[in-house]
Amino acid sequence: MIKSAKKTFFSWVDKRLPLQVATLLKQKNIYILPTRYGWLMLGILVLILVASTNYQNNMGFMAGFILLAVGLLSVFYTFRNLKGLEVRCHKSGSVFATEDATLNVQLVNNTQSQRFGIGVGLTKKSVSYVDVEAESKSLATISLETHRRGFMPVPRVVCSTIFPFGIFEAWSWVRSPYQILVYPKPIPCPEPLITTNTGIDEGQAREKGAEDLHNLRDYQAGDPIKQVMWKAYARERGLLSKEFEDYVGEQQTLSWDSVAHYEKELAISYLTDAVLAAEKSQQVYGLKLPQESIAMGQGPEHLHKCLKSLALL
Amino acid sequence: MNVKQLPISRQGIIPLLIAIQALVLLPLWFYIPVWISALTIVLLLAKYAMYRRDATPPRWVLLIVVLLCVGGVFLQFKTLNGRDAGIGLISLMYAFKLLEARSYRDAALILFISFFILVTAFFYSEAIWMGLYLLIGVLSILVGLVALNSPRGFQGLSGLGKISGVTLLQAIPIMILLFLFFPRSASPLWSMPSDSQAGSGIDDTMSPGSIGALHTFDDIAFRVDFEGKVPPRSEMYWRGLVLSRFDGFTWFKERHSPVRGELELPMTPTYQYKVQMEPNNRNWIFGLEELAEAPKGAYLFSDHTWLRRRQITQRFIYSAQAYDIDFSGQSLSENQLERALQLPRNSNTQTREWAAEQRQKHSSDEAFIRWILSYIHQNQYRYTLTPRVIEVDTIDGFWFDTQEGFCEHYAGAFVYIMRSAGIPARVVAGYQGAEYNPYGDYYIVRQSDAHAWTEVWLEGEGWRRIDPTAAIHPSRVEEDLRGSASSRDGWFEEFGSDMGFDAPEGLLQNLALRWDAIQTFWSETVMGYSRDMQFSWLRKLGIKRHQYRYLGYGLLATIILAGFIFGYLVLRGAQKLEPVTKHYLRLLKKLQKLDIPCDRNMGPKDVLKLTRESSQKVYSRAAPALKTYIEIRYQQQEVSADLLKRFKQQVSKV
Repeated sequence: MIKSAKKTFFSWVDKRLPLQVATLLKQKNIYILPTRYGWLMLGILVLILVASTNYQNNMGFMAGFILLAVGLLSVFYTFRNLKGLEVRCHKSGSVFATEDATLNVQLVNNTQSQRFGIGVGLTKKSVSYVDVEAESKSLATISLETHRRGFMPVPRVVCSTIFPFGIFEAWSWVRSPYQILVYPKPIPCPEPLITTNTGIDEGQAREKGAEDLHNLRDYQAGDPIKQVMWKAYARERGLLSKEFEDYVGEQQTLSWDSVAHYEKELAISYLTDAVLAAEKSQQVYGLKLPQESIAMGQGPEHLHKCLKSLALL
Repeated sequence: MNVKQLPISRQGIIPLLIAIQALVLLPLWFYIPVWISALTIVLLLAKYAMYRRDATPPRWVLLIVVLLCVGGVFLQFKTLNGRDAGIGLISLMYAFKLLEARSYRDAALILFISFFILVTAFFYSEAIWMGLYLLIGVLSILVGLVALNSPRGFQGLSGLGKISGVTLLQAIPIMILLFLFFPRSASPLWSMPSDSQAGSGIDDTMSPGSIGALHTFDDIAFRVDFEGKVPPRSEMYWRGLVLSRFDGFTWFKERHSPVRGELELPMTPTYQYKVQMEPNNRNWIFGLEELAEAPKGAYLFSDHTWLRRRQITQRFIYSAQAYDIDFSGQSLSENQLERALQLPRNSNTQTREWAAEQRQKHSSDEAFIRWILSYIHQNQYRYTLTPRVIEVDTIDGFWFDTQEGFCEHYAGAFVYIMRSAGIPARVVAGYQGAEYNPYGDYYIVRQSDAHAWTEVWLEGEGWRRIDPTAAIHPSRVEEDLRGSASSRDGWFEEFGSDMGFDAPEGLLQNLALRWDAIQTFWSETVMGYSRDMQFSWLRKLGIKRHQYRYLGYGLLATIILAGFIFGYLVLRGAQKLEPVTKHYLRLLKKLQKLDIPCDRNMGPKDVLKLTRESSQKVYSRAAPALKTYIEIRYQQQEVSADLLKRFKQQVSKV
């Protein structure tokens, strides 16, 4: 029952939360409630006041009222500790499924008061605390478990504080508009994949130049760093890429057909592994999927393109 | 809250907790049994030793020691209930809790319970320095809480300690308002066994030596604040009890039932005063003669004495009015007459016969009384605290043989003689005199002012006070007593000469009186603040008694008012933006007004681009400011005052 009520409550919260990169914490989006120790203090306060009434002890009354006043003031102090802070969500890098994604949240303090013990986390019980100096920034990192490939929405992040006395806890929720792209989990295929070598004809023609410099051309995004002609760059001739002949014969197209007979998720994982292996051995590779084909290429950007297609398949 | 992120192994937390515990337990060490005090000290030291060695005690050892301690407390008090046993037990458990503290939860529990332990000390003492101690104690607990809830832990008082001090200073005015408004109850919520030690004071019996024994006590019995006229100190007879039954050795109080309604006697009010009585663990309270109306919370008896319903275990404050009562035309009932003439058979026969014989030689009761007083004055009757002890027939022995004694000897013998001569008489016990405190404008009555005098019933006149002790010749008053009897000015001198008041001399006495004035303000006005005082100032505001709801309104208004004031004060700090950001936000607002759809989430370069695309006119005005902002933000250098000023002006021009 409580669980379902919680779920309803949080889906209501999520609906109200705007998806935004930067959230300024203010009256409207800061919530505050006593902590369990706040309730304990209330109990002790009542005990003190009852005992003081009974023994007609004015000193006890004084102590009780000081305690009450401290409790009252701590509402403001705790609230103030959050108010005026800006929470910025950063884009997260992609990870493979079941790896932990990291979510970076920056706390920006544009005010002249220092903030102590600001907790950032997914739930109030799992925050980690950082201090934010006046007019400065602090970075908080949350690690997120990933389960499935594809775009993962970033869950609601809570920003909370119990400073200074732990009597009240003030918190605010923020939601990042950025999604995290989760690549499929790579699994090596038990049998070698059938690849189609598409560049055979041309390859044979240029076979001799295995290690020879064939051509110099302008650097294009995606060219392996190894092929950049650093000597030319040092002479301020710009970034030039060396073209070698020797990748003839290592061009391959990884095709969906080769794994189509496996279960879909497994097939995607096998292809992912194959793409990673191809990239690792610096081959030129292409990807042929049922809906789309990715042309031959190499390098991080090409890899990302392939993995993204696989993630979203 | 994530308590795992706030472990108590952080810097300085445990030593701080040990220090706080020691501070909170400090006053209790003077009141709880010595072994409990010693054990708590040992536990604190043990915790420190273990902290240094990074060790924790095994749980089962702790459990055994805790059980032994509970047994010890039970053996000590024969109960685990009641105030003293409870406080003993809780202080032990408090120290044990720290010994086994491992987590945030334990530390937070210890700190919040510290507030309660702090208050238990106030059940033993409400002295003025305890007020200071309260502030220090609360401050230290707050420092502990701040350190516990800050990721850095405790790093000395200078940094994070400030917030506790500021909070406490802000809490004090709220506390004062709540203190004034919080509704007080007139009686306790439930009755408690009185387990405080017996206070000294006058008892309801009098035998030779009983009042003399009090003379050595310099304790304050009560303080008196007169409103308006003040009687001369020789006339300050503070009536407490009437002792009428005599068994040959001891005088006893008669059992009376309280007077219902008002006394139907012609009387005129004389002095109005307020008494602040120290606890004496007895029921009787004292008033300036004559007593008529009972103060609130007390009964009046037909012998013109007051009794309080409950024992006075806390300081008790009451207002009263002294009267001149005209007894003429009154007569004693048979019962009263019998009591006022009662004499034990077969003892002190010599005095009885002597008195009857002497009465025959005088024409009237009054002449006889005067003769007896001059008899004391002219014969070798001495006033001393250390009379020889008389074994049997104490009055015969005193009157004819030793002729020395304290006021109870004289009062007892005088009443005995009166009754033997057929004159109704009784002993009155109370206090005589008072010490004036010019700094607080009030009078102090001490236990050493305890006194016994007599009353005789004269036909046609009624009860008349006779103080036979005052008839002793001054030369026969013991040296010590003459000095200390200075508070009874005119005593042993001629009656009626009001010596007036001489300001006390000597620096020490001066300081002592000043200090007592401060203490009296504390105990009377602050600690003695009660429902009556609450209503009395509410009445001055025009609010009638028993309109309780005004207290509630006051309380609510206090909390709301405090909320507004402190909400403003505290939150003001959070809104203080760093100046560059402040002006930039102002700039964005201006641009929004000029229909440029920019917002905070955009970078300043994007805003610049957007402005250029939207409106050339706005762009020409806003570009300098935006460019300056970009310069400030992206060059990452210290913002000079000039640059800031330029930026501010550029924003203003937009």
